[in-house]
Amino acid sequence: MMTITFALLLAAFVLDLWKLPRTAMACLFICLVVTIGLFLWEIYSPDYGFRMPWLQVELRHPVDAEST
Amino acid sequence: MPGLRSVPSTLVLLDRLVLLLVAAVLSAVLTAAMVMQFAFGEIPCPLCLLQRVAMFGCCFGLFRQLRGGDSERGGGIALLFALLLLVVAARQSLLDLVPRPGHAYIGTAVFGLHMPVWSVLIGVALVLALSLRLTLFGDQRILLEAERPALARAARLLQLYLVLICAINLVSVVLQCGLGACHTSGYPLLR
Repeated sequence: MMTITFALLLAAFVLDLWKLPRTAMACLFICLVVTIGLFLWEIYSPDYGFRMPWLQVELRHPVDAEST
Repeated sequence: MPGLRSVPSTLVLLDRLVLLLVAAVLSAVLTAAMVMQFAFGEIPCPLCLLQRVAMFGCCFGLFRQLRGGDSERGGGIALLFALLLLVVAARQSLLDLVPRPGHAYIGTAVFGLHMPVWSVLIGVALVLALSLRLTLFGDQRILLEAERPALARAARLLQLYLVLICAINLVSVVLQCGLGACHTSGYPLLR
């Protein structure tokens, strides 16, 4: 998939140089869609989904902290 | 041309210079990333590669805007990819923020900051620069390439350079990822 993303990106640049702006834009748009899909696939975890449970910033309530 | 009015040529020139400068800075960042990859053996992770895609996409928009005339479409494309860069880089920074098995910042820190953190800063700077550009120079304008041949030539050269480094990146990605998932352990197709 990453190869396809870079191939589409290069195609967009080359087509833009060849004065084919609409085709270049189409390539860039497909590249953007593939990139977003790839990003979501990369960050998805079977265990956590899209959550990031290692980021725990919850503080103990002051009253609870005093009682213990 | 109806609907368009001329603005002082200094403002137009400044706008074009800002666009060219931003594109040049992004080209330098992409070149630095490639130097780290090929000279120091720091193979990019999948999210790092996606950040490169976002930077290239941003450059595409900037070059389109440089030839854009009265259209702001190129600026919009650049802003879209700058946001993509920011989202991907922020997520990667949060992913590696808490070191644990399989997750930690990889690669060399530059001035104490690792690559994804630099990408966040670059994304913020891009969004800021493009927003400021629209605020300051967002008026309708016309500037024919013939009026500023030196600027057009510089933009053309930079665009050709970007096509070249994009092609090198494609070859590198083919060697690293093939048609499957990307790994940072090496270039499987070279083994």
